[in-house]
Amino acid sequence: METEKEYTSADRKYKIIVWIVIVLCFLIYYSIMTLLAPAKKYKELKNIYGFRQDEKKPVDERIFTDSTYLSLLKEKSFLQSKVAMAESDSIYLTIDMPDSTVNLEINGVVVHKADIKKMKVSRMLSAKNDYVILSMLSNPFTISKSIASIEKEPLMIRMAPKDTSEFKPDIIPDTADYEPVNYILEMDNGTRLFIYQEGKLRSGDGIRLFIFNLRYRLINAGNTFLRVVTFRVPDYQPFIKLRIPRTDAKIIYRALPEQGQVAVYF
Amino acid sequence: MEDEFIPDNGLLPGIEKTPAENDPDATEEIKGTGNSFYQRILDNEKVIRVLRPLSMGLLILLIIASLFAFFINAIPAIQEIPRVVKIVIENSDELKKDAVYKKQIAQIKRDVQRLSRKYNSYTSGQSYLVINTTDNLFCLYRNKKLVREGHCSTGSYKLLKTEEGRSWTFKTPKGRFWIQGKTTNPYWKKPDWAFVEEGLPIPPQDHYSRYEYGVLGEYALALGDGYLIHGTIYKRFLGMPVTHGCVRLNDEDLKVIFNTLSIGSKVYIF
Repeated sequence: METEKEYTSADRKYKIIVWIVIVLCFLIYYSIMTLLAPAKKYKELKNIYGFRQDEKKPVDERIFTDSTYLSLLKEKSFLQSKVAMAESDSIYLTIDMPDSTVNLEINGVVVHKADIKKMKVSRMLSAKNDYVILSMLSNPFTISKSIASIEKEPLMIRMAPKDTSEFKPDIIPDTADYEPVNYILEMDNGTRLFIYQEGKLRSGDGIRLFIFNLRYRLINAGNTFLRVVTFRVPDYQPFIKLRIPRTDAKIIYRALPEQGQVAVYF
Repeated sequence: MEDEFIPDNGLLPGIEKTPAENDPDATEEIKGTGNSFYQRILDNEKVIRVLRPLSMGLLILLIIASLFAFFINAIPAIQEIPRVVKIVIENSDELKKDAVYKKQIAQIKRDVQRLSRKYNSYTSGQSYLVINTTDNLFCLYRNKKLVREGHCSTGSYKLLKTEEGRSWTFKTPKGRFWIQGKTTNPYWKKPDWAFVEEGLPIPPQDHYSRYEYGVLGEYALALGDGYLIHGTIYKRFLGMPVTHGCVRLNDEDLKVIFNTLSIGSKVYIF
């Protein structure tokens, strides 16, 4: 009886150790796969935006290590993006990181300007003097999906009265209505733009932002998990995180079309 | 020099040892109190029966929370660790003297200047109006300078539906527009929705009940598709989203805008 009891206890310990080892191995494998993701993304970008030598007009590749050239190339990329967007008949956004401003523009005319209070850029995008990144920035980003804490168009549905007896005059809209403004714009090139309202204007703003972020992170974690368990390197999405005043954030989100365009200058 | 007196008990004068410190057996007893307390808990099967699943539950919760934090927070942070882009800035003097390099720099400078000129040309030196539909504000520009700003009223985002399946959305369109017509003392020809909204029967197209005078102020500027910039009798609603899609202004602002903008002037609505 005593021997049987000892055997059961040892067996349980052994099982626990085996499980711990399995879980640790999986976590290590998971971490390695996610570490490979940025390199995979850069490789993809390099295939699209990388420099290709023209046999007729060969270029000395040392020029890509020259700061004067890269600085001019950066300026040219941003202007190219802005001109391309101005040619379209749509509302678009330009982000000027050195000036800490975001501009809402229509046909090249700045219609709204907002100050960036805080910004954070992913490591890949912060390599602003890289030819591949600069080439990528020379094309405007197109919004493919947006997730927001506010509605794009705050539609109020109202049924028409059958006759004059049912008619009720419109109620004055409640302009004091408050909702925190946070949104994430996913771009066609895999970049994500996070725009959060600056500061906690009311109690509960922090927790609402936490829940908003958590929901998005859960979706992403699910996608990453699915890729990793099927032995595929997960997707890496470079990001730009901006904190701007609430009113500006709301104006920008409501003004940008569903598939609006964005240009970034680092 | 007088030697300092230290008593036999090893303490400074005036400080006495407690009975427990004096008695080694008593010290053992005090030390043993703690152990016996835990011993008593460990010996108590009822307490153990409660504590064991509780601690196991806590441990499982801790493991789940850690795994959750790992997948949700640690993984995105881990992805930012590798430095995949390696930038080498050499600024070689030899390269700077190269004729091809000079040519390329001159070319890219020309491109920047050309693009910059092109981009600046988009902002008209003529007068234009900017309307912010989120905050219900307007800004009037002349020679690229702000000359007037104030409140306006834009679309209410109301979706009016009838039982027959007809619907109208009352929102101000966004984008670039231009003034297509200017009118003084305009009248309003009420569209179908104005009757539907009030539960009235829809009259024929040119019926006298469709015409209302004096409700649009003294001036109106047409933006196309029936959208107007006009005055209002509901001045207390200025700054609020209450219209059926038109832009309402107060009398003074409307007069300035009417006199500043000409047919063809641009109106940017966002």
